[in-house]
Amino acid sequence: MRRWLLTSIATIIAGFYLFPVYWMYVSALKVSDELNASPPTLIPHAPTLAAFRWIFERENIGQFMTNSVIQSASVTALTLVLATGAAYSLARKKSLWMDAVLVGVMLSQVLPPPLLVTPMFVIFRQLGLINTQLAVILATTTKTLPFAIIMLRTTFAQVPVDLEDAARVDGSSRTVAFLRVTLPLARVGYIVVGALVFLLAYGEFVYPVSLLNKKALQPATVGLYGFVGADYSDWGNAMAFAAVFVTPVIIVFMLLQRRIVSGLTAGALK
Amino acid sequence: MNDHRRHLDRALDSEAIWPLMVGFSALYLAFFVGYPVIYNLMMSVQEVTLANIGTVIRPFVGLDNYWKLIDDPLFPIVFQNTLFFVIGNVVLQFLGGLALALFFQQPFPGASFFRGLILAGWILPPLVIGAVWKWLLASDNGVINYALRGLGLVSGPIYWISDPATSLVGVTLANIWFGVPFNMILLAAGLASLPQDMYEAAALDGAGSIRRFFALTLPMLRPTMYALLALSTIYTMRAFDLIWTMTHGGPVDSSNIFPVWSYHLSFELFDFGGGAAVSTMMLVVVFLVALIYVRSVRAERLS
Repeated sequence: MRRWLLTSIATIIAGFYLFPVYWMYVSALKVSDELNASPPTLIPHAPTLAAFRWIFERENIGQFMTNSVIQSASVTALTLVLATGAAYSLARKKSLWMDAVLVGVMLSQVLPPPLLVTPMFVIFRQLGLINTQLAVILATTTKTLPFAIIMLRTTFAQVPVDLEDAARVDGSSRTVAFLRVTLPLARVGYIVVGALVFLLAYGEFVYPVSLLNKKALQPATVGLYGFVGADYSDWGNAMAFAAVFVTPVIIVFMLLQRRIVSGLTAGALK
Repeated sequence: MNDHRRHLDRALDSEAIWPLMVGFSALYLAFFVGYPVIYNLMMSVQEVTLANIGTVIRPFVGLDNYWKLIDDPLFPIVFQNTLFFVIGNVVLQFLGGLALALFFQQPFPGASFFRGLILAGWILPPLVIGAVWKWLLASDNGVINYALRGLGLVSGPIYWISDPATSLVGVTLANIWFGVPFNMILLAAGLASLPQDMYEAAALDGAGSIRRFFALTLPMLRPTMYALLALSTIYTMRAFDLIWTMTHGGPVDSSNIFPVWSYHLSFELFDFGGGAAVSTMMLVVVFLVALIYVRSVRAERLS
């Protein structure tokens, strides 16, 4: 009995906490009269997709979303390729140098992008990379790479060295042992880290808004900012834009929820 | 062909492979993080304008950029705002996260499911959180004002983010909402790792649950707490996106904090030297907090 009472309290807490997300979706479905109605309606009386049509036809959200996906996919690929070698070495090789690198990686993880963006803007300008997607990809990777190294290092540390050694006694080289034994065992770690890196890059705002001023190259975060950054009052369209942008994030999270939770706690505290 | 393959294998098997594999990432971070940090330091003691931004050799002005900032009437305001924002966030996120972690620690059907649902708030991009909260806090049709009026707590609408008296509270509320799940999940992991037998012994000795919390849980949770408090301080200092979306630091700088000020100086006033000086001051603070974090994490790993 008491246990079910706790379950109903939990339902209320979760419902209360997630109300803003719910409100985003229902606001996107309302006609503007209903949006401004007092008292506000919890469930739209006359749901409409007009706001969604508007952002696809007039705001060109498709272009923004394409740019977001191109940039975050590139960041994810670059991050995982670079992080693999570093994370594996840091997990397997113990030395003073490795320790120093690990501390360096942890420190670079904490630097806030708004504080790095000024020098990055100047450096990319000197390299002639302003207004290229490459600049955003390179800049965003500075945020995701330390995170991926730390998380994958924990993953590799959990793969028993004995298994690799056994494979090498059987005559395979270190590369083959890594590809045949270690990588398959680290599969789940890669899925979680890959997903989190993608989501981090997908939500990145400071670098694209500072390094790109061509609308055709901007990701959806910058598009959404254009909507709500000013004293914008057309909340139906703004919420539709936010909903389209964020729904993939919510789906990925739902699919990987359990694994993300355990990966996060292991990576952040160990 | 086979010979090449064997050479490659031997090269990959040698000890020289370790520094090489770390090397790519280390070089990347050195060039795109280390170099900007040093470059930032350099710009903060130079006079940087739009005209000389393309070169590296610029007039050296010593600490003038710093003195100008400290003499700026905005400095004490931004300082106070940052203090309020960081302390408000770190403390309330922690308390909220701890309350939720303790609640979900009880065994009941669906506990981990609901806890996972709440984590969804943390995974959302800050831009979306800023947009949604700006709408929730809207003065005329905002649902929060409506709820407060319905409960009889206020008589007229609160102009949350367009009123200098409340804008900082508005952005702080939104950021607390964002940070609570992360605190909850890390504290839940900390709670789960505490040895259960001590609780049983304490219960046998007649210690009540409140007594057990203060005498056992809090002291044993201390390493997790230090790491978490350091991490959320660091994360809170990055809350640029959310404030930029909701208020732009305004109205009249009432929600302006250091990262916002730095960005405003560099990208809107083109005072790159000033922006770099603000960044450098912030970097010093972040580094100090980060050292606490690194130390506490490493201490925990050794224990």
